Amino acid sequence: MNLNIFITKCAVLFGKGVNGFAKQKIQGGKLVYVRIRYDSTIESVEILGDFFMHPEEALLRIENALVGAEVKNRGDMLERVEKVVLSEKIEMIGISPSAIVDTIMIAVAQ
Amino acid sequence: MKWRVIMLEKHSAYENMSIDEAISNRVAEGTSKPTIRFYGWSPSAVSIGCFQSMDEEVNIERCKELGIDYVRRLTGGGAVYHDTEGELTYSIIAPESLFPKGIHESYREICGYVIKGLSGVGINASFAPINDIVVDGKKISGNAQTRRGGVLLQHGTILYKLDVKKMFEVLKVSKEKISDKVIKNVEDRVTCVSNFSDVSMNDLCESMLRGFVDGKDYEFENLNAEELNKVNELGDTYKSTEWNFRR
Repeated sequence: MNLNIFITKCAVLFGKGVNGFAKQKIQGGKLVYVRIRYDSTIESVEILGDFFMHPEEALLRIENALVGAEVKNRGDMLERVEKVVLSEKIEMIGISPSAIVDTIMIAVAQ
Repeated sequence: MKWRVIMLEKHSAYENMSIDEAISNRVAEGTSKPTIRFYGWSPSAVSIGCFQSMDEEVNIERCKELGIDYVRRLTGGGAVYHDTEGELTYSIIAPESLFPKGIHESYREICGYVIKGLSGVGINASFAPINDIVVDGKKISGNAQTRRGGVLLQHGTILYKLDVKKMFEVLKVSKEKISDKVIKNVEDRVTCVSNFSDVSMNDLCESMLRGFVDGKDYEFENLNAEELNKVNELGDTYKSTEWNFRR
């Protein structure tokens, strides 16, 4: 899915321990935003928005799979997300693995 | 296959979410019929999608002042203000096997029932993927679906009357944005049944019923004792801070 990065990009420092935040509307899709705590690697990440995902519980496993990924390594993050999506046969509507990773990249680039 | 229909009833947000889940559990066990339910919200409520943050989306303080409930749904999608007088809501809960396998196709099919219902009151609506129904390009219905344990649950709103001001009071939008210009902009993008028809809520519900049951064998029936017990159990979950503020 192509990304439309023009709509919303938000700045840093939200809540306890969170040092990255980004929000964007996916072209032809839904709104996705991430709250991330990271140094050179992801310590925790929360993926939020008005998208759909079946099964819903799988989002937690995607978030967990991203912990430990290097924040500048797009390929590694994408591989981690896609691995969970494939193994759990996750259906995503209005969001995609690349949209999640790109939103994380925006959050850490602030 | 005989369907069960539960006609228009108003419940709290917590009850509405609990009823949908209780029915879904029983349909998964094969002990309840596939169900079509029409309902309203009393008091008015805000529901958020299961992947949203309550704090980011909802003005909790204002909800408390106005006596408006707030709840996280089982389904994805966005935050919705459910006015007690301004909305008809439906749920359809049935084995997945009764619908197209693809999510998009099943949205299209079920939204088709809503479109048929609107047509019955003289409103010419169309499906707007992913999950909306529009009239003249303006949204009149939003829909959200989940699939669990072999059961498809889709619920959706049919806007009857629009109270944009109240909507902005309870959904989180910065004060600067609650200007006449923004409200006008929303009215350009959203519409409601009362803009086209003076049909009563009950007559709208009757028309929706015809749209939903067309070609189906059905009977009117209330929740059974097991479902009611489950609704009572689940009510506390849907009221809980742990559930509603989990993100």
